[in-house]
Amino acid sequence: MSKTVFKYCLFSLFASLLLCCEKDDICIQDVAETPDLILLMLDSNDENIRKSPPGFNIRAIGTENVLLQSRGDSIPLPLNTQEKVTQFEFILNQGSENENIDTLQINYDRIDQFINRACGYRANFILQQPAITLLNPGNDWIKGFVILKDTITDEKAAHLGILY
Amino acid sequence: MRKLRTWVYYISFWSIGFLGFTQKTQPAGTQKEVLLDSLPVKEKTPLSLRFGIDLFRLTRTQFSNDYSGLELVGDLRVREKLFLAIELGNEKTTKQSEQINFTTSGSYYKIGIDYNMYDNWEGMNNNVHLGFRIASSSHNHLINNYTLLDRTPFWPNFDTPINAGFATGERANLNAQWFEIVAGFKVQLLNNIYLGLSLRLNRLLSDSIPYNFDNIFIPGFNQKTDENKFGGGFNYTLTYNIPFASKKN
Repeated sequence: MSKTVFKYCLFSLFASLLLCCEKDDICIQDVAETPDLILLMLDSNDENIRKSPPGFNIRAIGTENVLLQSRGDSIPLPLNTQEKVTQFEFILNQGSENENIDTLQINYDRIDQFINRACGYRANFILQQPAITLLNPGNDWIKGFVILKDTITDEKAAHLGILY
Repeated sequence: MRKLRTWVYYISFWSIGFLGFTQKTQPAGTQKEVLLDSLPVKEKTPLSLRFGIDLFRLTRTQFSNDYSGLELVGDLRVREKLFLAIELGNEKTTKQSEQINFTTSGSYYKIGIDYNMYDNWEGMNNNVHLGFRIASSSHNHLINNYTLLDRTPFWPNFDTPINAGFATGERANLNAQWFEIVAGFKVQLLNNIYLGLSLRLNRLLSDSIPYNFDNIFIPGFNQKTDENKFGGGFNYTLTYNIPFASKKN
């Protein structure tokens, strides 16, 4: 009698050990990764008006990779997680005679946030004072910037507005 | 690793072999003689203390650079079929869990009861037991390094491991409590020397969550998972029995 009970118990223990296989060894695609900085191009006269500059392009300094171009009027900029600054060239009228390049440096601090065992950590950023430094002053087409959200933890809303 | 497997193989071979052996060599008719005796024999519950060591953690310590551990086990026979059981352990292990490399060290204790379901022949003392434990650990984690999750890498050095600062460092003074269901057996190898194997199904009750990390590994409990509070474990014990007193029923 007790042997049958024991065998049953042992079997269920084995079975439950086998069934304990979990899915969290794989990092699920739905889990948000390190967020990009979301940028808006705004009218310098009215910060509420979004507009696209003519012949506009952004180039990242320090890599040959080409940035993915905007989703609508917001531009995602990947920040370098290994540095505290990331530099971009903002190009107006690209390829034409009056091409104007402003080099901007974005200053930030990184905070790493634990997700789970499979995914590990993702980086969050906090914009520093000043958030943007202009590296090549003179003949600037960019007039200024506004911080819309100084902590970059997701890509749901814009973080930075560029005024021109 | 090959040596370790060889050891595990031999140990299991012995234990299974002895289990069969002890049954076969039972002198037949032992029980009948007892029944034929006209005088009623007072049955005694031998109160005995058994203590020993987990061989698996011991061998793993020898053959692995990332693990060192020790588990002392003991049980006290309080009734014919009932044992008070205890396990005391200490573990230190370094793990590479996907993106994070961390070291967990700590100690644990488990206290509970084993019920022997095996009907021994007269004079034999083998156990096939089922039981439970209440367990508790106190431990800490040291995050050695990690790489950030980035599925769409843009910058060339995105996967450089972060070795210092940020989320690395120690998470101290952590603890966890859990419940175990234990099934196993103990086989008498020589007089008073036993070899045992037990399987454990663990259910986490509570744990203190470290800052910006999780108890991915808990000493004594093993892997903790996100969506599932269950875990598993086992030990391979070599124990020595001291029959220090007898208690009359």
